[in-house]
Amino acid sequence: MLSLQPLSNPKPSSLYSSSSSFTPPNSLSSKTLKTPPAFRPSRNFYPSVHSILQYNRKPQLAGDTPRVVVITSGKGGVGKTTTTANIGLSLARLGFSVVAIDCDVGLRNLDLLLGLENRVNYTVVEVLNGDCRLDQALVRDKRWSNFELLCISKPRSKLPIGFGGKALVWLVDALKARDEGVPDFILIDCPAGIDAGFITAITPANEAVLVTTPDITSLRDADRVTGLLECDGIRDIKMMVNRVRTDMIKGEDMMSVLDVQEMLGLPLLGVIPEDSEVIRSTNRGYPLVLNKPPALAGLAFEQAAWRLVEQDSMETVMVEEEPKKRGFFSFFGR
Amino acid sequence: MATSIWTLQLHTVSVPLRIPSKAVDFRTKYLFDYAFWRYTRKRTFKKLGVVALGDSFTNGDGKNSKNLPDEVMVVKSEKRSLPVLLQQTVTKLQESVKSLPPATLLVKKHSGVSLAIGLSTMLTLLVFMVRSYLAKRSRRNRPGSVADLVRRGQLKSDRRGISNPLKYDDPFNNPLVKVSKSNSTVEMCGKVYRLAPVTLTKEQQAVHQKRRSRAYQWKRPTLFLREGDSVPPDVDPDTIRWIPANHPFATTASEIDEDLAQTNVYQKHGVPFRIQAEHEALQRKLEALQSVSNHSP
Ligand SMILES: Nc1ncnc2c1ncn2[C@@H]1O[C@H](COP(=O)(O)OP(=O)(O)OP(=O)(O)O)[C@@H](O)[C@H]1O
Ligand SMILES: [Mg+2]
Repeated sequence: MLSLQPLSNPKPSSLYSSSSSFTPPNSLSSKTLKTPPAFRPSRNFYPSVHSILQYNRKPQLAGDTPRVVVITSGKGGVGKTTTTANIGLSLARLGFSVVAIDCDVGLRNLDLLLGLENRVNYTVVEVLNGDCRLDQALVRDKRWSNFELLCISKPRSKLPIGFGGKALVWLVDALKARDEGVPDFILIDCPAGIDAGFITAITPANEAVLVTTPDITSLRDADRVTGLLECDGIRDIKMMVNRVRTDMIKGEDMMSVLDVQEMLGLPLLGVIPEDSEVIRSTNRGYPLVLNKPPALAGLAFEQAAWRLVEQDSMETVMVEEEPKKRGFFSFFGR
Repeated sequence: MATSIWTLQLHTVSVPLRIPSKAVDFRTKYLFDYAFWRYTRKRTFKKLGVVALGDSFTNGDGKNSKNLPDEVMVVKSEKRSLPVLLQQTVTKLQESVKSLPPATLLVKKHSGVSLAIGLSTMLTLLVFMVRSYLAKRSRRNRPGSVADLVRRGQLKSDRRGISNPLKYDDPFNNPLVKVSKSNSTVEMCGKVYRLAPVTLTKEQQAVHQKRRSRAYQWKRPTLFLREGDSVPPDVDPDTIRWIPANHPFATTASEIDEDLAQTNVYQKHGVPFRIQAEHEALQRKLEALQSVSNHSP
C-alpha cells in the first residue's frame, strides 16, 4: 500500500493510517511496485488526488486468535446487528475465519440480515441439551465459506431459556478446539440493555465494539455500557458511530463525530453514514459490504473491519460534506 | 424542400391528408372540374401564396419552395388586369400543380410505407424481445440447469467463470475513495467530505475511564437471587443480581462448582457434563419460576 504512494507522502493518509506501526512485507511491496503503469493515467483524473487500486495488501492481523469481540450498544436499534453482519462478512472477505454468535436470545435477527434464516436448524440450546453436535449448529455462509453463524436459540422456543455466561465461555472454548482450527474472529452480537443477556454476552469477550448514534439518548446508554465493560475487565473498547448525517452536522443539527468522541472518550473504529442502502440490504438479506458497486456505508464498514483487524483507530474523520468543487472546465465558463 | 411541399399539401387539401386514396380522388376532381377550380382558385391562390411565402421565409433553402411563390406572386399581381395572361399563368400553375401531386403523393406514399415499415420493425423487435425473454425464463426455469446450482448456493453467480482468486480490495485506497493531497478532504462515492483530525489523547481517554469507574461502580454479579430470597451474610452486596420472578433470563446458578466446570471445559467432543448439568439445572429452575409466577396471580 505504501509503496505506490508518492515519495513525498510516505504514509497513505491519516484517515486510515495506523497508530500501530505497520510495514508491508517486502515481497508485497515489490509486487505492488510492479503494477502495470497503465493503471495510473486512467485512475488519476486529477493531479491533486491520488487513488491507486491495490491488489496485494491484506490487513495484518494483530493480537491473539481467536479475537473475541462483543458488539454492544446499550440502547436498542442503533445498528449492532447490522454492524455484526457487515463487519463479519468483511472480515471473511479479507480471508479471516469468522464465527458470528447471535446472542440476542429472545429477539434474534442476525440470521435475517445475513439471509441465512432458512438454514438455522440447530442452535446452541440444542447443543447444550445434547440433541446435536456443535458443528451441526454452525451455519456456514455459502457466499464466504469462512464465515459461520451460530444462534443461541430458536426465535419461537416455548420456554425462555436460561443461558449463562459460563455456557458462552464453554462455547468459545469448544470453537477453539475444533478440527478446523481456531477461528480468527468470534463476533458476539449483544442484546440491547444491560440485563442478564448483556452480562452473558460480554462474558467471554476480550474486546468490545460500542455502537452508538450521534444522539444524546444513545450516548448516555453507551457511556453506561462502557463503564460496565470496563468494570468487567474489558479494556479494549472502540466505538462505532452509526447513522451519521453529514448534512445535519453541517447545519449544527447533529453532533459531529468529534463531539461524540469528546463525550465518550473512546477511540473510533468507524463512522457509518446514514444510508438507505442499509435498509435495502436488510430486506434482501444480503449484507451491504457485498454490494457491487459498493455503497457509502458499505465502504465505511469495510474500513472499520480493516481497522479492527489491525487494532487500529481512526485519526481523521469526515465531518461534513464539502460543496462540490467546480470542474476544470467551469473555470473557463466563468 | 420536402417540408415546404408537405405544408403546401397540408394547407390546400387538409381533409384528405390522412386517407391517401381519397386524396387522389380529390386531386383528380380538382384538376378536371375546371369550373369549380376557377371558382375557388382565388382563395386557393391566396392561400397558396401565403403558405408558400411563409414557407419560403421560414425555410427558403429549397429550390421548389423558392420558385413556386414567385410564380404565385406573379399570378396574384396580374390576375385582375390581364385575364389572358392569367389564363396562361393558370395553365402554368396548373402544370406546376400537376407536376406537384406526384411528388406529394410520393411523399405521402413514402410516409405511409415508412410508417408501415417502422411499425412492422417495431413489432418484430417486440416479438423478438418477448420471445427471447420467455426463452431465457424457460431456460432459467428448466429443472436441472446450472442456475439451480446457483440457486442452491453451490455456485456463486457473480464468480462463475472467474478462475483467478479474488483480490483484496483495499477499502481505503480504491477508485471510490480519493484523498486529496493535503489530506483535508476525501472523496467517497462521488461526494467530497471535509476531514478533521481526531484529537483524543491517551490522557483524555484515561480521564474518561476514571470518570466512568467512579460513576458506574459495578461488579459482575455472581449471585443471583430471586425476589424474596435473603442475602447470605458473607456476600458482597455488589455482586448480587436480583432476578424478577418473571424475567426470561436467569443467569448462572451459583450452586454449581465453577472450578470443576472450568477444568472440564476443554473436552473436545460433545458438551461437558458439567455444562450440560448446569444448563439443565437452569432450565429446571426456570420452569419452577414459571410455574410459581403462573400460580401466584
Ligand atoms: N447506517 C444506517 N443507515 C440507515 N439505516 C440503518 C443504519 N444502521 C442501521 N439502520 C437501520 O436501523 C435498524 C436497526 O438496526 P439493527 O437491527 O442493526 O439494530 P440493533 O442494534 O441490532 O437492534 P436491537 O437492539 O433490536 O438488536 C435496521 O432497520 C437498520 O436497517
Ligand atoms: Mg440486533
